[in-house]
Amino acid sequence: MILSLAAIAQATPSPASVPGANVFTSPLLLSLVIWVPVVVGVAVATMPNPRGRYDVLMKQIAFFTNLGLLFVLWIAYNQFATFLPTMQFEEKVTWLPAIGAVYHLGVDGTGMTMLILSGLVGLASVLASWGVRERVRSYFCLLLLTQACVNGAIVAHDMFVLLLFWGASVIPIALLVLGWGGARRESAVWRLVGYWGLGTGSLLVATMIVYAASGSTSFDMDVLLKAGLAPRVQLAVAAALIVAAATRLPLFPFHGWARDVYADAPPGVALIVAGSASRLGAYLLVRALIAADPDASRLLSPILAGLAVLTMVFAALAAVRAVDLRAAGGYLAMVPGGLTVFGLAALTPLSIAGSILSLFSGGLAAALIVGGCATLSERAQTRSVQLLRGLAPRMPVLSWLLVIAALGLIGVPLLASYPAEAMIFFGSFRSQPAGSFAVALALVLVAAVVAVVLHRILLGSPNPDAPAVSDASLGEAWYLGLLAGALLWVGLFPGGPKLPGTEQVVFDPGLLNVMSAGLTDIASAYAGPNPASSP
Amino acid sequence: MAPLAAFVLAATSVRTRRSAANMAMLGAVVALLTSMLTAWGLTKRSTPFIDTHPYFNISVAFSGPTNFQGFGIDIILRVDHLSAIAMVVVELCVIGVLGWHRVMGRAEPGPARFYALVSVFLFGALGALVSRDLAELFAFWGLAGGTTYLLLAHRWSSNDASRTARVALALPFLTDVCLLCGVAVLYSRYGVQDLNGLQPILHTTLGTGPKALAVASVLLFVGVAGRMALWPLQSWITRTSVTSPPAASAMVQAVWSVVAIVVLYRLMPVISASSAQTMRGLLYACGAAAVAGPLLALFGNEPRRVIALAGTGTAAIGAAIVVRGFQDPGFTFAVAGVACVLAAAPARAAAVMAASAFAAAMRTDDMAEMGDGWRRMRASSSALLVAGVVLALSASGALAYAVESQSRLGFALGEAVLLVSIAVLRVFMGVATGPLRRRRAFEPDRVREAPTEALGWPYWLAFGGAVLAVASLVSGWMGFLDGQRHAAAAPRAFGLWAGVSAIGFVAVWIAFRVSKDGALRASGALGDWLDSVVSSVIETLGRRIDAPTAAAVARVGEWIYAGDSNLGRAATTSGRLALVLARVHASAPALLILVAALLALAVALLTPGLYR
Repeated sequence: MILSLAAIAQATPSPASVPGANVFTSPLLLSLVIWVPVVVGVAVATMPNPRGRYDVLMKQIAFFTNLGLLFVLWIAYNQFATFLPTMQFEEKVTWLPAIGAVYHLGVDGTGMTMLILSGLVGLASVLASWGVRERVRSYFCLLLLTQACVNGAIVAHDMFVLLLFWGASVIPIALLVLGWGGARRESAVWRLVGYWGLGTGSLLVATMIVYAASGSTSFDMDVLLKAGLAPRVQLAVAAALIVAAATRLPLFPFHGWARDVYADAPPGVALIVAGSASRLGAYLLVRALIAADPDASRLLSPILAGLAVLTMVFAALAAVRAVDLRAAGGYLAMVPGGLTVFGLAALTPLSIAGSILSLFSGGLAAALIVGGCATLSERAQTRSVQLLRGLAPRMPVLSWLLVIAALGLIGVPLLASYPAEAMIFFGSFRSQPAGSFAVALALVLVAAVVAVVLHRILLGSPNPDAPAVSDASLGEAWYLGLLAGALLWVGLFPGGPKLPGTEQVVFDPGLLNVMSAGLTDIASAYAGPNPASSP
Repeated sequence: MAPLAAFVLAATSVRTRRSAANMAMLGAVVALLTSMLTAWGLTKRSTPFIDTHPYFNISVAFSGPTNFQGFGIDIILRVDHLSAIAMVVVELCVIGVLGWHRVMGRAEPGPARFYALVSVFLFGALGALVSRDLAELFAFWGLAGGTTYLLLAHRWSSNDASRTARVALALPFLTDVCLLCGVAVLYSRYGVQDLNGLQPILHTTLGTGPKALAVASVLLFVGVAGRMALWPLQSWITRTSVTSPPAASAMVQAVWSVVAIVVLYRLMPVISASSAQTMRGLLYACGAAAVAGPLLALFGNEPRRVIALAGTGTAAIGAAIVVRGFQDPGFTFAVAGVACVLAAAPARAAAVMAASAFAAAMRTDDMAEMGDGWRRMRASSSALLVAGVVLALSASGALAYAVESQSRLGFALGEAVLLVSIAVLRVFMGVATGPLRRRRAFEPDRVREAPTEALGWPYWLAFGGAVLAVASLVSGWMGFLDGQRHAAAAPRAFGLWAGVSAIGFVAVWIAFRVSKDGALRASGALGDWLDSVVSSVIETLGRRIDAPTAAAVARVGEWIYAGDSNLGRAATTSGRLALVLARVHASAPALLILVAALLALAVALLTPGLYR
């Protein structure tokens, strides 16, 4: 269906950056990544499925829809003009003229990076959900709607549209947790709705304050976020945005939903929450705070840095005390978010660039650790850290994938998190020296905790009282392998693989190159004074 | 690239023990041949071979200082004489250990995993040796560090191995992060992370003070010292020396000492630019580590732990000479410290392998229960003796060139040499002499020499170390390594430092001849005392820091959960109340005020802390 939709497409003006680009183009690429999951989700929901006869077909539809979306995103990624600072693949249709809401979509390098992340995590979440047996139709419908909401929030270039997708994403996730979650699903859902609702409310407040204070007649980000505001208003808006981001990412002390949702959501849902839906928090900070309001950003950067450090330290210490493996994984999944926000709080061009890359690498690492812990718990038939021991020889594939996830969390070279971490550190030592040392120590703490947790469950002699275990199935190995492979690929070729001896990229223009489109516009406001121009 | 190719092949297609071992060996041998070819090429030229590949390069800003407008990491491979020799030494150590492990490590689990990790480790180590870009250096360094942990934690089913391997992840990661922070501090001030580009601008860049340079220097030094396992950062090597596979322990000790000393030598121009006080502090730290490491080797009777500590003493002597060499601008013998460690590295690996052969044959890690090795395991005893002697004498040449015997540094390093000599000969005397007593479930007559195929490797490595130790006495060798001309040291100086080692040997020989059991009982008692002190310190730290912190985190976590639950309940109740009030047609403003007041009251009362 995606192919047929895209076949009616016309050529975009984007130049060919790699061999094969422009083979397949569409001016509606961004609408496709939002509305195709919605249409397919609705179709799945309305298909007759007597006594679960077509369960496998539903799963296949969801899988191929995600595969097709990833293919479309791959095309968009390859066609992305890395030298253009402006939004690309823009779509602009007047929607509610009375209030100035416009259906305005567009992506810059940051958005494209997030879309690729969302596509990868979406595909992985479908594979992770292959074992769902109850109400399959509803499950995959909601999963596709979740992905549509996440994609919509990424590509929205109108605050009203962003708010819509941002708030809407809570509903399918909450229903998925409530319908297919574990024993504490009700508590998890209430917390999720409460915290994310608070975040949505904060975003609504921030949007309305700007809308009212600027006297604007449009929600378009190009207009709204560039309006001149009084310093106090800027500060209030920035504080509201930070609360919205902190509830979503999550940052301490707005992390109340994380333990229960990561521990009790089905693996596929936990994966999509950890991998892409929660990254929207940091993405919002980049788009609406860092890019739009340098003065308020500078003023609030110590608070952001403090929250980031506290989040990393708290997550590590809480993970080591957790007796539930999935809760421990959930806490560890908070770590990349802390690092991302710290890079943003450092407010240097390089640290901001590192944070944007960290959105991608952190999302993958968080999804991998959450998914790995969930799969391991299922395969080991228990989540109790006290019972799980000596699993590595009996489940080597899962153990290796968990080790890669752990190494991804702490930023070991060859994984995508290393360039991100290096850029954040290199960029932040000038503006936030104390915070940088604190984050470095927090990372050491995370490494120690990861060592303790992994050794506790993977190494040592097996527990004879524990239930029987089995290694990951092919589907589980594939979905975790997909995430680990993406981490490794970007770590090996952040600038894209090149033909030896040439600058000709092959197959992949390089995530860093794509990410950097539009980055200079965002980050230049934070470049230090030029010594040559100073008196 | 050869080790990386070997890893890829091993990871994708190799399953059996023999093919995995062959693949890893092939990668190491190809790397050795190419390194030797490069070294041979370098004998004809004075300039290094340089190859540059961009890893990534992005523009991050279009305003501000030009050196901060973009960022990139280039893979700059620079092979000079020192790098080439260091690569050869590293590869020889890995080949020797692999050859030994093929036979002695047959019982180890997961052979394919082990050999594949060795290939990655070798790749990372070689990459770190030839890196000039500091970010690139850290990438290779971190890669080798990650595989080091996986190698040391290789025995997945062993509780002891998994417990001690935690230290092997956390402690070196701390020092690795220090290295990263040091590089980051330098970049944040100068906007350059290439060593060639950094050195000329260290004192000419506006707005950069000596304080930042001093902080960066200390961080860089700590990063390197951690991987060199200098005291007090040695526990990741000593605690895993018994529980990890012997081949992994031997390889890690040998290879990391070479990599770290070469990297320290490369970083010294930056570190020495900081301040005289910083340099003095680092020299004191090296001197203290050189004495404390081998001194700790006298505590306890585990032979592999003793060798590891003696090895850290030698590495600290080398580091001290390197730091001393850059302290004085006119002083040109810094490279002697590197030559010392290059000679000691193969001997360390050989000694660990020989000691492991004893531990396996006598089924104990306590020297008090070992003995009679000279009669029962003559070849392994000889290898241990040769390796120990080379280890003890490896610093003689460097000290003769670089240190005045009557200076304070000379006194400290002389003491270190004496302690290293005592430590290594103590191991030999402990395992090779005296009776081998019968124990429960152990019959001395069943002790056999290691298999013939494994016997040669420690000898070859010890022989290689001896050759390098002899070379370190020759000024031409120093000249080849650093490309400078050096005056020859006085033969009397060599004799003096070798004499210090000889005194140590004689002292141990006398002590063990008088009473082997008494000597070992004394060191055993000291070891027990040290263990109890360390345990009590760890317990105190756990009680004073770990437990309260964990309790605070738990309290905060629970407080937040309790708080948001109560908040949720309050919100629900207020909503229901609002519905009830709405039904009685109350006016909207009054309703809102009432709900707000009730909500505030509920939150105030129900939130933990206020209510209680």
